[in-house]
Amino acid sequence: MTSEEITLFRKQLGGELRKLFARKRTYIGFGAFLALEVVVLFLLRLPKAKAAIRHLIDGAGYDPGDYFSGLTLGLMIMSWTVFLLGALYLALVGGDVVSKEVEDGTMRMMLCRPISRGRILLLKAVACAVYSVALTFFITVTALLAGFLYGGFGGLFAFYPAEHVFALYDFWPGLWRYLLAIPLLGLSLFTVSCIAFLFSCMKMKPAAATIITLSVLFLDSVVRNIPFFTSYQGWFFTARMATWIHVFDYAIPWEKMVEDYVLLGAMNITLLVIGWMIFEQRDFKS
Amino acid sequence: MSDLIRLESLSKSFRGRPAVTDLSLTIPKGEIFGLLGHNGAGKSTTFGMMLGHVRPDAGEAFICGHSVQKDRAGALRRVGAIFETPSFYDYLSGWQNLRFFVSLSGDVSDARFREVVELVGLTERIHDPVTHYSHGMRQRLALAQALLPDPEFILLDEPTEGLDPAGIHEMRAMIRKLRDEHGLTVMLSSHLLSEVEQLCDRVAILDGGRLVFSGAWRSGPPQWKLSLDDQAAAGDVLDRYIAECDGDVVILREGIDIADLVSDLVHAGVRVRGVELLRATLEDFYLGRTRP
Repeated sequence: MTSEEITLFRKQLGGELRKLFARKRTYIGFGAFLALEVVVLFLLRLPKAKAAIRHLIDGAGYDPGDYFSGLTLGLMIMSWTVFLLGALYLALVGGDVVSKEVEDGTMRMMLCRPISRGRILLLKAVACAVYSVALTFFITVTALLAGFLYGGFGGLFAFYPAEHVFALYDFWPGLWRYLLAIPLLGLSLFTVSCIAFLFSCMKMKPAAATIITLSVLFLDSVVRNIPFFTSYQGWFFTARMATWIHVFDYAIPWEKMVEDYVLLGAMNITLLVIGWMIFEQRDFKS
Repeated sequence: MSDLIRLESLSKSFRGRPAVTDLSLTIPKGEIFGLLGHNGAGKSTTFGMMLGHVRPDAGEAFICGHSVQKDRAGALRRVGAIFETPSFYDYLSGWQNLRFFVSLSGDVSDARFREVVELVGLTERIHDPVTHYSHGMRQRLALAQALLPDPEFILLDEPTEGLDPAGIHEMRAMIRKLRDEHGLTVMLSSHLLSEVEQLCDRVAILDGGRLVFSGAWRSGPPQWKLSLDDQAAAGDVLDRYIAECDGDVVILREGIDIADLVSDLVHAGVRVRGVELLRATLEDFYLGRTRP
């Protein structure tokens, strides 16, 4: 690639990102995440909820006063927000990314240009990745700030029974783990965008692409939690996506995490390539 | 003139239903060419195949010598297109829309941007969000995005659709200007046959996906309607000047001027009440070549 081509690619990507970030819906979405974080914080402040968390920390032999802190609250707010809204929102954006342009007719305008379909999709995939990372960063940082505002500074208590994670850290090691979790969570969430992207490349309405993506994730999550399928965990998207949580294990299982992310990466590339192959074969007519 | 556009045996079916069958066409450089047909005749599919939006089942389209099917980027490098309902990102300004679409073609200088925006008359409103644009303004913005990469060939699918009479007039003048002053080759489709008639000397007519005519629709000698007092007395004169006669409608022999005929008729004592050049309309021509 020559420097001219790189400059042109950056311009094209800039245009693609501008389209994504200039929409009001993007900011309404970010606002919705903030609102949800406030709601989660409110729920965690309810006396019985607070007592239950303190009881868990106390039961592990630690002082709840040290560990019921901003970091702990931030992690809880972030996890709940991602669980409740993250997939939905990324499925919405990913589901729109191609099919909405086809529906609106702007894709035909783009395809009048001397640019390959593959390059258009590459630009969109990169924009989706940037968006996933930006959204993850936004959620995790605002959750942490909300936690600090209410809980102040202190140790981190991480508790994810489904993933067998139960750990307590002092402030700095806890903060380090939290920060390490951000890019890993971003990588996991990018899978949602990739699934939605695949359906978006097919001949269907944007809403259909979003609904099918959410259905896939829901089914995947439900089926993997059925006891009969415990030994098939590795086959499920959501099991691999949940691997970021293990960054809070006392001994981080790097080998397993690398394997999970390599497989997720391969899966994402496969989804994008299938999407591209479908898109290449499509006819676009008014 | 060399052919800028060459369509070779293009065919396309959708779910087994033929949309275009064995279409071959050529368009010379610098021409305004009309593509006509009823709804569903295959016009949009043809345009789609020319722009690489639709993959033909057979055949190939060439623009400036590049095959659209084999070298789409090369073929579309100097091509602009407008569709009947131009689509833009409504939440972006006209300028931002132009910037985005043009970035897909390559780099265009700010001076060129300003020049084209001025040409289409959008200078005042170019920084407004497109959502506030009227249909006519959107059409002009579409023309700007088509012209920005400095095309040699421009493809207009129903360019006057939804425009008011002033807008139609403006668009027609613009198309002429693009050909006459900028040397562009234009291919357009429109249901407004009067518009096509005013702009195009050559047309192609599609019917059921098949090409039923391609060429100069006004070809053939002019026909004159003569109103004479005494047809019998005019017989000798008419025999000398006329190639064909159908009642009072005549076709003159090659090289004969109508003024000479009238002069001789008057000298022969025939009173000439009226002489009218019968103009063939594209509508008659079109309807005569398509199924009812």
